[in-house]
Amino acid sequence: MEPLALYARLVGAQLRGQMQYRVSFLLALLGSFLVNLIEFGVVVVIFTRIPLLVGWSLPETALLYGLSATAFAVAEVFASALDRFQVHIVQGTFDRVMVRPRGALFQVIAEDFALRRFGRVGQGVLVLVFALQLLAITWDVQRVAVLVLALASATVIYFSIFVLGAAFCFWTVQGKEATHVLSYGGDALAQYPLDIYQGVVRRFFTFVVPLAFVSYEPALYLLDRPDPLGLPAFTGLLSPVAALVMGVLAWLGWQQGVRHYQSTGS
Amino acid sequence: MRLYWEVARRALRRQLAYRTENLAGMVTNAFFGYLRAALLLAVYQSTTSVSGYDATAAVTYAWITQAMIMIVALWGWWEVEDTIRTGDVVSDLSKPFSYLGFWLARDLGRAAYFVAFRALPILVCGQVLFGLHWPSSPGAWLAFALSTLLAVVVSFGWRFLLNLSAFWTTDARGLGGMAGAAVMFLGGFVVPVRFFPDWLQPIVLALPFTAIMQLPADLFVERVAGWAAVAALLQQLVWAVAMLAAAQLVTYLATRRVIVQGG
Repeated sequence: MEPLALYARLVGAQLRGQMQYRVSFLLALLGSFLVNLIEFGVVVVIFTRIPLLVGWSLPETALLYGLSATAFAVAEVFASALDRFQVHIVQGTFDRVMVRPRGALFQVIAEDFALRRFGRVGQGVLVLVFALQLLAITWDVQRVAVLVLALASATVIYFSIFVLGAAFCFWTVQGKEATHVLSYGGDALAQYPLDIYQGVVRRFFTFVVPLAFVSYEPALYLLDRPDPLGLPAFTGLLSPVAALVMGVLAWLGWQQGVRHYQSTGS
Repeated sequence: MRLYWEVARRALRRQLAYRTENLAGMVTNAFFGYLRAALLLAVYQSTTSVSGYDATAAVTYAWITQAMIMIVALWGWWEVEDTIRTGDVVSDLSKPFSYLGFWLARDLGRAAYFVAFRALPILVCGQVLFGLHWPSSPGAWLAFALSTLLAVVVSFGWRFLLNLSAFWTTDARGLGGMAGAAVMFLGGFVVPVRFFPDWLQPIVLALPFTAIMQLPADLFVERVAGWAAVAALLQQLVWAVAMLAAAQLVTYLATRRVIVQGG
């Protein structure tokens, strides 16, 4: 419990700081909500031109979008400091983190609880609710479990990607933007049916970086659709396994990175 | 004129220092190019033409707009705001050149770098992965080149105005972030404006934002050609002049507010 209490204290102090700039905060909140809402508008615009996108209807696509966007936004709330982690390496302030008597990853994460990004969480939830309203899913215990586990697992998967992106900075800070391929790119990819991507890309994001388990596989299960790759129906239940694997990889990657760290010369 | 030329040249050379950053950004731009093109191709599985774009034109549209992201600094640009916040703006204002001209020259230099070192490789990437539609005549190339130049000027004017708002508010980035996002949707970056519902199109096409992405992209894929191309260029020119005039006016109003504290 001690780490949680400490996290709450650190975050609490920070939020009081953020709240000193109330207008900025409200603008950022509103901005992240609006910008992402319009982004979903694009999906709607596309469906005004065609009835089905590779066999997926608007509510079905919205389900994918809502799952991925919600999980990604929640992960981003906690991982905000990880996405700016290169500053620690460039300025050598990671030294300070190293000498404190708490885990390094814990300290970095506790640096920023991005309440301002709740606008985006709201947008994701809104799209998800919209999708679930329009879809006639017959809910049973398994389906509820798949939905809940998918959201939790997807959040862990995205968070792990942010940790790996931060760990990447231990080797190079200049290449940081390339890690956005898996974070922001991953979210963008998982918002649409994987059927639209070529075979190699789909296999890569199913078996190597398991983004298929963020939204696509759980959605296939919820909607009773067969998997075009021929995976059995219970694949939709495997999101937690994918999350566990990503979590372990992220932890190992971070550990390697910390071991590799050599402060700055200047 | 020589001064501004040198400023632009130096801005370009400054960018040359960021080689790895540029490569990393290129990887990300290309990946999103792939995603956007794949999405559009999926749309064309159930139709052969949407709003006058065939599949190749739509895929090309995705890649050309990806290629233009850094040319028009779509993700935001706060260099002027930085100087206003730190107070360095005072030294820039006291130098014997046009403040607006100085920043415009810098931005053109910056943009020139990204034409050569970001946009071209991205287009080559799109060509290899999907096969693109390239402008079919020297005239079309010329129109696209002029259009890109005007797009930079319009986008610069818009960004400059957002930056200058820092003279009046400490929330310039919050407001500006939202206003900057307008270019993404109303400028035709995320999807072509011509995909929008028919009643909405004339309104959006009349706004300045299409001058930043939609019009140059349309000229590249030759969705707009002939006299319509001339009209598009004129529309961009009008917006470029209007933006620069507004920027000059706001600069004038802003400088009257600046009070240099001694010390």
